[in-house]
Amino acid sequence: MRKFVTLWKREVASYFVSPVAYILATMFLVVMGIGFWFLANVRLLDGATFYDLLRGFYGGVAWFAVLMVIPVLSMRSFAEEKRSGTLEMLLTAPVRDIEVVFSKFLGVFTVYVVMWLPTLAFYPLLQRVAQQPIPIDYGALASAYSGIFLIGSFYLSIGVFCSSLTRNSISSSISSFTLIAILFLAGFLPAVSPIPLIRELTLPFSPLLHMMDYARGVVDTRSVVLYLSSTLLILMCTTRILESRRWRA
Amino acid sequence: MINVQHLTKKYPGGVTAVQDVSFSVGKGEVVGFLGPNGAGKSTTMRILAGYLSPSGGEVQVKGMDVTRKNIEVRQCLGYLPETCPLYTDMRVGEYLRYRADLKGLSRRHRRTGVERAMEQCGLLDVQKRMIGHLSKGFRQRVGIADALVHNPDLLILDEPTIGLDPNQIVQVRKLIRELSESHTLLISSHILSEIEATCDRVVVMNRGQILESASLEELEHRWSPGTSLTLEVKAEASVVDKILRVFPDVKKLEVVQDGEWACAELLFDHGAAPHEQLHEWVLEHKWPLRELHTRRHSLEETFVSMTCEGGEA
Repeated sequence: MRKFVTLWKREVASYFVSPVAYILATMFLVVMGIGFWFLANVRLLDGATFYDLLRGFYGGVAWFAVLMVIPVLSMRSFAEEKRSGTLEMLLTAPVRDIEVVFSKFLGVFTVYVVMWLPTLAFYPLLQRVAQQPIPIDYGALASAYSGIFLIGSFYLSIGVFCSSLTRNSISSSISSFTLIAILFLAGFLPAVSPIPLIRELTLPFSPLLHMMDYARGVVDTRSVVLYLSSTLLILMCTTRILESRRWRA
Repeated sequence: MINVQHLTKKYPGGVTAVQDVSFSVGKGEVVGFLGPNGAGKSTTMRILAGYLSPSGGEVQVKGMDVTRKNIEVRQCLGYLPETCPLYTDMRVGEYLRYRADLKGLSRRHRRTGVERAMEQCGLLDVQKRMIGHLSKGFRQRVGIADALVHNPDLLILDEPTIGLDPNQIVQVRKLIRELSESHTLLISSHILSEIEATCDRVVVMNRGQILESASLEELEHRWSPGTSLTLEVKAEASVVDKILRVFPDVKKLEVVQDGEWACAELLFDHGAAPHEQLHEWVLEHKWPLRELHTRRHSLEETFVSMTCEGGEA
């Protein structure tokens, strides 16, 4: 367990010594801030409720961040270590491959969570500037964030997986972006597919609908299980990819 | 310590990097792994360090199979990869503490382990410096300190002096000699003087196979063409040549004129060099003598004759 904590700490630290995390976090907050401001200004003035704001923000604006930020955030995890050769150092230390994969994932997930934390400040700010007090439903807010983190963890695991396939960070981010975009766009199928069977089959797997649920304050255990188990599955696949170096090299 | 039997490593695409290699390293030995680039040295070392799996054969480190007891094997040896990759954004002390944690040292052992490794490798003055700002020589020492930090009694160093300047090479060699007193060492190199300077025994690889596994003297004896003598006297080259030809056991003779001096290169079988007769012969002709010495064949020449001729053998 101590080895795992050591690996995780190193992983988190590696993000904060490179400018990538700072640039990304800044860009993320600017875009989120503009989105929030827009929604709060336009929608709330129209007489929309706090829940409409949550749906618009976490079910809408947040997707932009998820799609843009996650591939870039996770692209370096293995690719960079492969490129610089430090993976050999890492994997000749007495640590298990699975520990390395999970610590890398948890490291990037930690950074992802840290990036989201400042967005919590939007609500006290909104309270201050609003003409009449806005009732904040903390339960719904917690639900929205759990959705962001659950879907985020699944997509981050895809990013880490893509990173383990290559030694080039850019190609890693492009391939994970493609995979994530496909999964995201497939989320429209229940609404747009002309074939009823496809509409029905894809309905339980639409991240768009899931996110809408979470943003409404509905935590559906089915989707929780779906994202947690998918994350686990992808991370196990990543471990297998890492092990394959032994015979492929 | 190390026991390798019929090791084979095939890469996808049909490349066989190592083929039916067997050797062993005993406790306390310092063994040099020698071969031209691409001979399969690094592949063998990576397998020993548990980074790659063998395609066939048995590889045991301290009696443990590297595939089945992978983590245990990694725990008990110190390994320095060829390119000495390090996290350049970390400080020296910080990096070594991190590595000590990964190798499962308790906090107390970590402190002593890191300090001992830094002291042995002369890193105490740079422990607060970023690894990325260090010279190649210091980075190499950080790599060696990393291999040492959990105090393993077996060290595997892949090309420890590659890319260093002559001063740094001398320092690293000195360090290796110090380490050899208390550790079993397997060092690879394609530079022969390196092996000559540090090892008691050599394993020579070429094209994925072992050509020789012997002590330095044995190797020289077996592969060098014989004893070379250099003789320089003040005389006509043609005269010297004519007289030297009648000497018994001369395998090769070459005489060149250098101003007033005749320089002769003679080659005899091992132990057959007639120093005394030559001396008497020079006195007899009353020729002024400038030089008479036996030239040891360097490992370099031995190596060339092995990997060129022996390659097909």
